Amino acid sequence: MEKLTFKLTKKTITVFVVMIAIGLIALLYGVFGGPGPERVAANLLLNNYYFLSLGLIGLFFVTVHAISESAWHTSVGRIGEAMAAFIPVGGALILLFFVLGGLHAVFEWTHEDHLDAILLKKTPYLNEPFFYIRSVLFIGVWAVMAHYIRKVSLQVDHNGDIKYFNRLRTLSAVFIVFYALSSVVTSWDWLMSIDAHWFSTLYGWYVFSSMLASGVAMIIIVLYILKRMGYMEHVNVEHLHDLGKYLFGFSIFWAYLWYSQYMLIWYANIPEETVYFYERHKNFEGIFYVNLILGFLIPFFALMTRKSKRTFSVLIPVSVIVIIAHWVDLYLLIMPGAVGGEKSGIGLLEVGLTIGFIGLFLLVTFWTLTKAPLASKKHPLYKESLDYHTNY
Amino acid sequence: MNKYLTAYYLDEEDLLKGLKKIMSKGVEVSDVLTPFPVHGLDKVLGLRRSRLSVVAFAGGAIGATLGFLFQAWVFTRAYPINFGGKPYFAVPSFMPVTFELAVLFAAFSMVFAFLISNNLGPGSKNIIHDEQITDDRFLLVVKMDEENEERIKVVENILSDAGAQGITLKA
Amino acid sequence: MYVSPIREPLIKGGKDYSQVTKDIMAPMAGKPSIYWYVGIAISGGALLFGAWATFVTVYYGIGSWGLNKTIGWAWDITNFVWWVGIGHAGTFISAILLLFRQKWRTSINRSAEAMTLIAIACAGFFPLIHMGRIVLGFFIFPYPNTRELWVNFNSPLLWDVFALTTYFLVSLIFWYVGLIPDIGTVRDKAKNKIRKAIYGFLSFGWTGSAKHWSRHETVSLILAGLAAPLVLSVHTIVSFDFATSVIPGWHTTIFPPYFVSGAVFSGFAMVLTLLIVTRKALNLEQYITKVHIESMTKIIILTGSIVGIAYITEFFMAWYSGVEYEQYAFMNRAFGPYAWAYWIMMTCNVITPQLFWFKKIRTNLVAVFIISIFVNIGMWFERFVIIVTSLHRDYLPSSWTMYTPTMAEVGLYVGTFGLFFTLFMVFIRVFPVIAIAEVKSVLKSSSDEKKHTHHE
Repeated sequence: MEKLTFKLTKKTITVFVVMIAIGLIALLYGVFGGPGPERVAANLLLNNYYFLSLGLIGLFFVTVHAISESAWHTSVGRIGEAMAAFIPVGGALILLFFVLGGLHAVFEWTHEDHLDAILLKKTPYLNEPFFYIRSVLFIGVWAVMAHYIRKVSLQVDHNGDIKYFNRLRTLSAVFIVFYALSSVVTSWDWLMSIDAHWFSTLYGWYVFSSMLASGVAMIIIVLYILKRMGYMEHVNVEHLHDLGKYLFGFSIFWAYLWYSQYMLIWYANIPEETVYFYERHKNFEGIFYVNLILGFLIPFFALMTRKSKRTFSVLIPVSVIVIIAHWVDLYLLIMPGAVGGEKSGIGLLEVGLTIGFIGLFLLVTFWTLTKAPLASKKHPLYKESLDYHTNY
Repeated sequence: MNKYLTAYYLDEEDLLKGLKKIMSKGVEVSDVLTPFPVHGLDKVLGLRRSRLSVVAFAGGAIGATLGFLFQAWVFTRAYPINFGGKPYFAVPSFMPVTFELAVLFAAFSMVFAFLISNNLGPGSKNIIHDEQITDDRFLLVVKMDEENEERIKVVENILSDAGAQGITLKA
Repeated sequence: MYVSPIREPLIKGGKDYSQVTKDIMAPMAGKPSIYWYVGIAISGGALLFGAWATFVTVYYGIGSWGLNKTIGWAWDITNFVWWVGIGHAGTFISAILLLFRQKWRTSINRSAEAMTLIAIACAGFFPLIHMGRIVLGFFIFPYPNTRELWVNFNSPLLWDVFALTTYFLVSLIFWYVGLIPDIGTVRDKAKNKIRKAIYGFLSFGWTGSAKHWSRHETVSLILAGLAAPLVLSVHTIVSFDFATSVIPGWHTTIFPPYFVSGAVFSGFAMVLTLLIVTRKALNLEQYITKVHIESMTKIIILTGSIVGIAYITEFFMAWYSGVEYEQYAFMNRAFGPYAWAYWIMMTCNVITPQLFWFKKIRTNLVAVFIISIFVNIGMWFERFVIIVTSLHRDYLPSSWTMYTPTMAEVGLYVGTFGLFFTLFMVFIRVFPVIAIAEVKSVLKSSSDEKKHTHHE
């Protein structure tokens, strides 16, 4: 008998709770005795942004595959939906972070007495009220849409009527349009404006590609955990292969955007632009290259063959590496501006806090997975998703 | 001198069913000719997965290495030019050409390997057993020993039992 | 393989395999229709106009163009980028859609790829003729010479040489490898000896053996895997021509992905323009159905919206950056002397494709045809706006100029149209316009009649 209803065991919950506790301890250590408030704030922003984005990528996956009528994805669609359940949690946390002083600790432009001529010109956009309006608006719409998309998706499963599937597709299209705009703007607001003088038009898409790669990696990891527990029997090696191809492809895509942005700034060599990479070369040199190795070279060579995309023993280590790589990527986006080369580093605070967020993220995800059958059997494409071969 | 016994089906699913039957009776089907790639045929015939991907990888690696080293040689040894105060060994500017050459070498080495391994090419004289196979026939070919007429009879029977049509013996 | 009943059939009319062969080969058989002769006459005329313009340019030099000391790139590079962009749809369809297992690709990939090859040829013509002395065009390749001088590998223009050459060659073999089995079909159906001999030679001795097919599939897949990043790289490198510079309006990091998206956008528009006519003229409406057209319009919405977001991003960043030159460049685009070009671009690229959100418009062939032309125009103006409006206001107001094309430039552009349509019409007569074998391979799962008999 196929196990369709997922049950969280006490043991699993305990693991997640312990992880959250580690995170809290790391936070306390950071606030009261550790490396200083800027570093704590910057790390909170990093993890908040990272896991909120992973939730959004989960929803993005569900919606993209709904409008493109991809059959194969219906077999793993529940994972993306469950990840999307983190959106309201992560959204609330990041707003809380801004309100409780995070905004002032990280963003130079919030200190009105520090503003120079250039930043003064940006105040119509970079000011606190407008910043909050944007943040609340985006997070609110995301959370509401995530709720409705999930609801309609469950209706598709309860009732085979095509009208629910069509409604799902309409909602998905609306979400994608909104997300395309909001993901770009939030990346400017929450990340790029840390270095408030600096600007790059590609930034939004670059951050998106980074989150996309790690989102796929997270889906693969959640799938693996479920499989280890004896669930998701309907997901076969062909589905895995498709996820593997995504991980491979998006890692290359990320490297492509990384190169495009870096090369153009390096080549034109305009001081107000190169200062960004100059700082990263000077004070973060090691981790700068580590990021490229973890995010591109390893997944590229490890996932090149057909076989490696079809086996968990390769996919799981690579997925973990990719998740680390894009954490490092965010680290490089945030730390130089928010903390500076001398004070920042990777220590107990960084590791502990990240573990805490992973625990929280997985707890929400798995808890949501218990709420609905793991396979959407009445989905009009479900049957097709079980019967296909990937030659490639 | 070998002879060929050929027979055909008009539907790929009949072909797969018939083929399994024929092969289970110990007839060695030397080739199956189809108008398009039939799913599952590789498995029935026991064909190995092609290893042309290895050729592509090797070609790509050679292309990338040559491309990169050549540019590096030109700009650090042969004729160093200062452009915009950048280092002579300017890795970011070497990437586009390196990438293009990798793709070029990978694609061409693989396609040549494909043509050679299949004995395809301009002026190639492969036997064309039946002109209908590029249209709607799924033809199977059994190599026969000319001397052994009894065996030919036996195989002919097996083929017609399996529903194959147009059984013919050719030189 | 099971196919969900919600999927619409891709091939109509309940065809069987031999019917597919007959239908697709029909345009190659017999004498061409009167329309074909009319078409070839018109495009031949355009080609002659282009030949005249080429002669003028080579004879008098590029002084015969409307360029001046401030505006060194104008129609030539606009046309170059435009044609390269159009070339992107073919590879996108055959490579990226293959990787995404989109079956609708099988009816349109052959003609779109042919279009790609011709478009790259048209594109390559412009930089060559811009060199002035076209006979020295081989200077762009690194070859050993007595001066021991090499090409400048640091120059994006040189990257272009490599990107376009590779793109053309790889597209060519990708196209040809796909053609081999179909040429085999043409060979086997040929009635007269000469025809049989020619196609026999071109078919490379194709036999249809299971082993060959198995390798053929592998090769097609890996070529698709190689062509997918390649197609991204080509327009990326074209965008580097502008973005590596320090000219306001050119130097912006979003250019690479935005150019690629714009290229696919314009490419699909051109495929639609061509195929809406071709399917009718060649009686292929049961193979290139409304489902195909609708799928293409969806790609146009996607890529068009990406382009739209990029426009807005650029505009916003110009303000946000606080760089006054950048701000001036963008204000000048929207409200300066070339504002009309800018607003044509905005209307055609950002607004018209959004009409495809409505199913009524997506499925109305006349509307799709008109919008596809709008997109073609819009994308031409996009390149014009980027190139000419960024250049014509130089840093010194004393060097500010305007640009008007001369008849020679118009002739070169019209001439490439002539080349494009002439070669496309020759292609229609010489090779099957639809990939016969590939259509057959999806026939069972995607045709309307058989669909219901083959479920388990």
